[in-house]
Amino acid sequence: MRKAAAISTGLHVAVLLFAVLSFSSKTFEVTPAESLPVDLINDKDFSELTKGAKDAPKVEQPKPLIEKLDPPKPAEEIAPKLTEKKELKVEKEKTAEPKPDPIADKLKKQDEPKQEAKAEPQPMPPKKPPQKQQPKFDADKIAALLDKRDPQRNAATGAELNSTPSLGTATGNAAQLSASELDALRRRLMALWNPPVGLQDAERYQVIIRIKFKRDGTLAVGPQVITSGSGVRYEAMRDSAVRAVFVGQPYTMLRPEHYEIWKEIDFTFDTSQMFHDIPTR
Amino acid sequence: MNPADVAQSVLPLTSSDLSLFTLFWHAHWIVKTVMIGLLVCSVWVWAIAIDKTVLFTRTRRGMDRFEQAFWSGQSLDELYRTLSTKPNHSMAALFVAAMREWKRSFEGQQRSFAGLQMRIEKVMEVTIAREVERLERRLLVLATVGSAGPFVGLFGTVWGIMTSFQSIAASKNTSLAVVAPGIAEALFATAIGLVAAIPATIFYNKFAGEVNKQAQRMEGFADEFAAILSRQIDERG
Repeated sequence: MRKAAAISTGLHVAVLLFAVLSFSSKTFEVTPAESLPVDLINDKDFSELTKGAKDAPKVEQPKPLIEKLDPPKPAEEIAPKLTEKKELKVEKEKTAEPKPDPIADKLKKQDEPKQEAKAEPQPMPPKKPPQKQQPKFDADKIAALLDKRDPQRNAATGAELNSTPSLGTATGNAAQLSASELDALRRRLMALWNPPVGLQDAERYQVIIRIKFKRDGTLAVGPQVITSGSGVRYEAMRDSAVRAVFVGQPYTMLRPEHYEIWKEIDFTFDTSQMFHDIPTR
Repeated sequence: MNPADVAQSVLPLTSSDLSLFTLFWHAHWIVKTVMIGLLVCSVWVWAIAIDKTVLFTRTRRGMDRFEQAFWSGQSLDELYRTLSTKPNHSMAALFVAAMREWKRSFEGQQRSFAGLQMRIEKVMEVTIAREVERLERRLLVLATVGSAGPFVGLFGTVWGIMTSFQSIAASKNTSLAVVAPGIAEALFATAIGLVAAIPATIFYNKFAGEVNKQAQRMEGFADEFAAILSRQIDERG
């Protein structure tokens, strides 16, 4: 037994020594990873991600529009030639003066002090500083003249520039119609919608109306009611919805660039949504 | 403030020297006691295991040799004479005890056949019990360590985690650099407990089975030998 105990002790010491030597912990070398930018989006944003496919043909990006305008031409300068010519003429007159003419001489002598007095201011018109001439008023250019912007500016980055969709996800189904546009439409229609007041059990009614638009945001055809129902209250409710659609046009919040998307919209008028905001007692 | 700096200022134990020795040295004294106790248990378990392995191997070999000699047709008296001086293994001890009882019954003034059979059986029974007791001595230590070791280690771990949480609360910092060393040293206790308990359990199962096997073998031999002696008694009587 003593022998066995000695063997066991020796074994343990050996194992411990090995462990101490091999168990020296190495510090984790953390390679600094580049931080990933993360966007937080809500459910609605996620469900309306634009659809995209990696192997889709490349869309030619339309070149940015640049409004090219003629820069207003600098005003024509007044030629200072005119005044110089006048000067020359004056000198010629002066040189011509001493021609012998006795009568004139006599006359001159009499008049000399007068003439002298007269002639002195005459010799040259006072030198006018070369005055800048006002640009000629041109009615055709009035818009350009009123334009205070830099003539070499780029066209404003509008919807045209951004018409190419981003890559998006493979599951996205929304095209380009942004939520804000739809929300604006919804707010407009909800504001205009005036459901019949005496509606009981208002929660039950739901009317879906198909609205077809023209490009300018007005209705192409009258609103079609898709849902069906019967009863006086339903009809009153349906008519109020149709009225709201009529009243609301033109729907300018829908941008014409995306006309293909919003030219036909099924809109749901739901009394439960309508009355939702009213606190129930 | 960088958490690593805090860790270095609060705890002397930095993550750079988490060797086994520092793990042990920074532990609470209760945890230290538990670790030392478990280490001693482990040493003891392995000592018992080595001892028992040697004992069982020797016993099995002795039994084999004895059975070969016994069934070889050798005279039992001769066998008794060679073995009686040093009955070194269980089956020989059994044989010697039975033969001694037999001889005593014949060598006395008056032969006492009446209870001889019963006496021999009793003697052999006692010898088997003594031999089995010798074989399974200290096996209980293995069983105890195997079942209690993990709990003891767990106790050390719980205690260590308690104290390390207290120190975390004191340092008012929960960065991993502060938390990790205390928990590592606490878990070290469980590790030692498992290191002690797993071999103990394995060895206990193995040796218990071995003891059973050898006891059965001895009982079988005892029955056979009793039958032989019984025939002899009937023939002589």
